[in-house]
Amino acid sequence: MLIAQILAVLIFVVMFLLIVIDKIERQYITLACGLLTLILVFGAAMHSVPAILETLNVRGIFTPGFWYAAGQAEESSSGINWATIIFIAGMMVMVEGMAKAGFFRWLCMRLAKLVHYKTIPLFITFMVMSAILAMFIDSITVILFLAAVTVELAKLLRFDPVPMILSEVFCANLGGSATMCGDPPNIIVGTSLGLSFADFLTNTGLIAGIGLILVVAYFFLVYHKELAAGGEEIDFSAIPDPSEAITNKRDFIISCIIFGCAVAMLVTHAQTGLTVAFIGLVIAIVTLAASGKYALELLKKVDYKTLLFFIGLFMVVGGLEQTGILELIAGFIGKISGGNIKTMVAIIIWISAIASAFVDNIPFAATMVPVIKNLAATQGVDLQVLAWTLSMGTDIGGSATPIGASANVVGTSVAAKNGYPIGWGKYCKTVAPATIIVVAVSMLIIFVRYC
Amino acid sequence: MDMGKQLIISVSREYGSQGHDIAKQLAEQLGLTFYDRNILDKIAEEMDVDVEHLEKYDEKPVNVLFSRRVGEHTNSMEEHIAQMQFSYLKKKAESGESFVVVGRCAETVLRGAEGLVSVFVLGDRSKKCLHIQEKFQLTEQDALAKMNRHDKARKQYHNRHSNFRWGDSRGYDICINSSRLGIEKTVQVLKSYIDLAR
Repeated sequence: MLIAQILAVLIFVVMFLLIVIDKIERQYITLACGLLTLILVFGAAMHSVPAILETLNVRGIFTPGFWYAAGQAEESSSGINWATIIFIAGMMVMVEGMAKAGFFRWLCMRLAKLVHYKTIPLFITFMVMSAILAMFIDSITVILFLAAVTVELAKLLRFDPVPMILSEVFCANLGGSATMCGDPPNIIVGTSLGLSFADFLTNTGLIAGIGLILVVAYFFLVYHKELAAGGEEIDFSAIPDPSEAITNKRDFIISCIIFGCAVAMLVTHAQTGLTVAFIGLVIAIVTLAASGKYALELLKKVDYKTLLFFIGLFMVVGGLEQTGILELIAGFIGKISGGNIKTMVAIIIWISAIASAFVDNIPFAATMVPVIKNLAATQGVDLQVLAWTLSMGTDIGGSATPIGASANVVGTSVAAKNGYPIGWGKYCKTVAPATIIVVAVSMLIIFVRYC
Repeated sequence: MDMGKQLIISVSREYGSQGHDIAKQLAEQLGLTFYDRNILDKIAEEMDVDVEHLEKYDEKPVNVLFSRRVGEHTNSMEEHIAQMQFSYLKKKAESGESFVVVGRCAETVLRGAEGLVSVFVLGDRSKKCLHIQEKFQLTEQDALAKMNRHDKARKQYHNRHSNFRWGDSRGYDICINSSRLGIEKTVQVLKSYIDLAR
C-alpha cells in the first residue's frame, strides 16, 4: 500500500505542477495523470480491479438514483463525479444558446439604461447583477459579457473601467458561492454529499448575501472618487439601444424561458427529486431542440476541454482517496484541531482560501471533499458545517489574486485586450482585502450559527 | 533597389550590439517606417488609452508562476501586450506597408510575408559590455549584469512566442556580428544583402 500511496501523491503533485507551469493544455495533463493513476496505482501497485471500477464510476450513471432521487440519496464521492460533468455540460449548452440570442448583452445594456448611464448607480447595479447571474450561470460567461459591456460603456461615458471590472469579478465569485450550481466547487461538494440547491441557498447563500452587502459598501468606499471623476460631456446618442443586442427575437424569448425553467428546476430539485445530472441533461436537450439547425453549432461551442479536465482530475483524486492519503490528511486536521469544531472550521476555511487564491480551486475542492467526509465521520462533527466552510473558503479565496479563479483571468483579460492592463499590484491592492474581509466574516457567521 | 515591392526588415539583437541603431539607420537610408517601442504609442492611440499603462509590459517574458490561462484568456499582461503588437505588425504587413521593425519576435510573427528579410545582430561580449558601460556610465560588473539580464529576458520572450531558439542562425536570413564592422559598415553590408536577396 505504501508504494501505491507514494505513487498516488507523486502523480497528484506532478499534475499540479504541470497545471501551474501551463506548457501543456490542462485537460491532457489531468487525463494522462488519471490514466497513470489507473495503471500504476490501482493496477501495478494495488492489483485492484474494484478500485479502478469505483474510480471510473460508470455504473452509477445507469442507476435510477443518478437521475431521480426520491428523498436525498447521497451520491458516491469516490472517483469521477459524472453528475457534476453532465450538469456543467448541460449548463454550457444552455448558456451558449442564451449568448447566441444576445441575452447577456441585452441585460447589461437594459440595466445600464435603467440607471440612466450614471457611473455610481451603474457600478452598484453591475456588482449586484454579477452576483445574481453567477448564482445560476458560470462566472466565466457572466464576466465575459459584463466586462465587455463595462469597457464599451467606459469608453463612451469616459470613466476608468478597471474598478468596475474588479468589483464585478469579486461579486461573480461571491454570487457563485451562494448556490449549488454557481461555482464548480459547490457542484462537486453538493453532488458528492447529496446536498440540495435549497441547502446551499439557506446556508452559503445567506453568508454570500451578507458578504455582498459588505463588499458593495467596501468597493464603493474604495472606488467612489475614481468613478466620480468621469462624467465629461457625453454623447448619449452614441450608446447602443438594449434592443440592438437581441440577434433574434424568437431565440431570445426561448432562451429566457429555458433559463427560467432551469432556475425553477434547480430551486425545487429537492422537492421534485430530480438530480442536477437530470436537470443538466434536460436543459441541454431542450436548448438543442429549440435551436434547430444551429444545434450542431451550439454543441461545437461546448468547452469539452474543461469537461475532460474534470474527468482526469477526478481520477487522480480517486487515487488519493483509494490509497487512504485523504484519510491521513483528515486525521492530521483532526489531530491538530483536537476535535474542536471551531478550530477545524478555521483551519479549513483559511487553508481553502489561501490555496484557492493561488491554485485552481476545482482540484482543491475535489480533493477536500473526501477529507471533510472523513473528518466528520471520525471526529463526530456535522458534515454540512464543514461543507459550507469548504465552499466559502474555496469560492471566496479564489478572488484574492488574478489567477485564483477563472472569472478573474477572464475579467483581467477582457480589460487588457481593450488597453486597460491590470497587473498583480493593481488587482490585489483592492480585491485581496475584500477577500480577507469576506472570508473572516464567513468564518464568524459559521461560528455563530453552527458551532 | 526596386522600391515598388514591399520590404519588411526584422532586426533581432543582442543587448549592447547596437542592433537598434543599425535598424534605425537602415530605415532612414531606405526611407522606410521604423517600428520599435513606438508601436505601443500607435496601439494606445488607436485604443484611446494611455500608453504609460502598456509600456512596462513591453517585450517582457511571461512569468509562468504568476499567470494562468482560461481558454483563450490569460491574466498575463506581457502576453496581451505581445499579442497586440503581433497583430499590429501583421496588419501593417498585410496592408502592403514597407517597414523596419526591431525585436517583438517579428521574424516569427511575420514569417511567410512576402518581402521579409530577417536579421540577427550579435556582438563580441567585451565590445557590447564596453558600449553599455559608456552609454549608461556603468562599471564593467554592472554593465555585464545589465547585459545578462536583458539578454535573458529577450531570450525568454522570444522562445515563448517562437518555435526556434533566440539567436539560432537557422531562424534568420542573416546573422551579423556588429563588433567587426561597427554600425555604418554593418548597415552597408545589410543593405547589400537586402538588395541581393530581393
